[in-house]
Amino acid sequence: MFSKKMVLIVGGIVLITVNVILLSVTSKSQSNFGFGRVSLSFVAPFQELVTRSVRFARGIWGHYFILVSVSQENDDLKKSLNHAIEKNNQWYELELANKRLRNLLSFQRSLANRVVAAEVIGKDPSTWFKTVTIDKGKADGLQKGLPVVLPQGIAGQVIEASDHYSKVMLIIDRNSAVDALVQRSRARGIIKGASADQCRFEFVLRKHDVQVGDTVIASGLDGVYPKGLRIGRVSDLSERSSDIFYEITVEPFVDYEKLEEVLVVLRPKIQTFASQQ
Amino acid sequence: MRYGFYIGTCLFLILIQTTILPYFNAFSGIYDLLIPFVIFICICLPIRESLPFVLILGLIMDNLSGSPFGFYLSFYFWLFVGVRWVLKFLRVSNKFLLSLVVVIAVLIENIIVIGTFALSGPDWQLPADAFKNIALPFFWALITGPIFLLGLLALSRRFNIQLNGASPQPNAYG
Repeated sequence: MFSKKMVLIVGGIVLITVNVILLSVTSKSQSNFGFGRVSLSFVAPFQELVTRSVRFARGIWGHYFILVSVSQENDDLKKSLNHAIEKNNQWYELELANKRLRNLLSFQRSLANRVVAAEVIGKDPSTWFKTVTIDKGKADGLQKGLPVVLPQGIAGQVIEASDHYSKVMLIIDRNSAVDALVQRSRARGIIKGASADQCRFEFVLRKHDVQVGDTVIASGLDGVYPKGLRIGRVSDLSERSSDIFYEITVEPFVDYEKLEEVLVVLRPKIQTFASQQ
Repeated sequence: MRYGFYIGTCLFLILIQTTILPYFNAFSGIYDLLIPFVIFICICLPIRESLPFVLILGLIMDNLSGSPFGFYLSFYFWLFVGVRWVLKFLRVSNKFLLSLVVVIAVLIENIIVIGTFALSGPDWQLPADAFKNIALPFFWALITGPIFLLGLLALSRRFNIQLNGASPQPNAYG
């Protein structure tokens, strides 16, 4: 009834249509139907091995072969160390004072938030997407949706966790969104990834005061990132006469190209009334 | 043994792409190294062996990347279909045209990525580094893609000679 060529053409069209529909669904939902853990468990151990080997080789190169001007550097470092010891003492005093004040105010929330240190063992194979693989997983208490931070600021969030490895979406990924505030004026908006090591700060009303150089922090309202964590600095700001929002570019504090170690903030333990007695 | 060679090469390329190359800024815009590999196994293996291989490879890449799930699976599948079709008209010995297939595949992959961005919602925006993300892999593929593909073919031929004695193991395309 139908020629072979006709069946092939119709089959091809049906396949392409199904493919486009599936891609459309998955690009909106970020779902992987549970396959993620299997692949992570399979490839990540090899990634870990290679990454550690590369770092080991780099370490040998750095420590044993590049000896030029080490003596001068040593003298400088000794001076810096003396300075650091002095500073450290001052900070220790401040830390003690801080602890006392925290206890005084019964500020227990930050004590309940445990963190897990993890090492970056692999990066996204595509330049379009910004994810990294870390060497901690469910066995270490990690789960989907946990915030990943660095002392400099927010790095991203866990989007997939296997037993010993996890995939982290960085805030510069175009699928990432963080509810944020301008620290100085408390103007609120959404930080979205722009892929090029920069973020866009969207939905900030023009009636608010925002300036280039302002620090942007997490508002805590998205339920993922704890309030007050630093994100970045406003690097560009423009106003369109027809728009009620600013067009803001934010330069993150974290250098994502040099990401090696990260901290994953675990969910705070739920305190029951009985446990507090 | 032959499958060991293909699986080993594939794993090696994934590891290179996700762990070693990111350390070198010079390679920051390199293309998907598995594209020449998919073309290579299309040439070297019969359909019943190469298709499952391509699909599993797509699944692994989908899970290592932050791309929409199914992107690599779809792209490798259609690349497989396209290459099998092109091979009906093209001889494997025609190295120039075969190299052109690598470059075109790299270009199409990047265009499909932008297509998936457009599918994600009406308020999508072209990423700020879109031009760089298309141009750099294109030039990398233009320069190294053909060498890479021909290197894989030569390596496979050598491996087959070692495995089967003097004559290489025949495959679908000789």
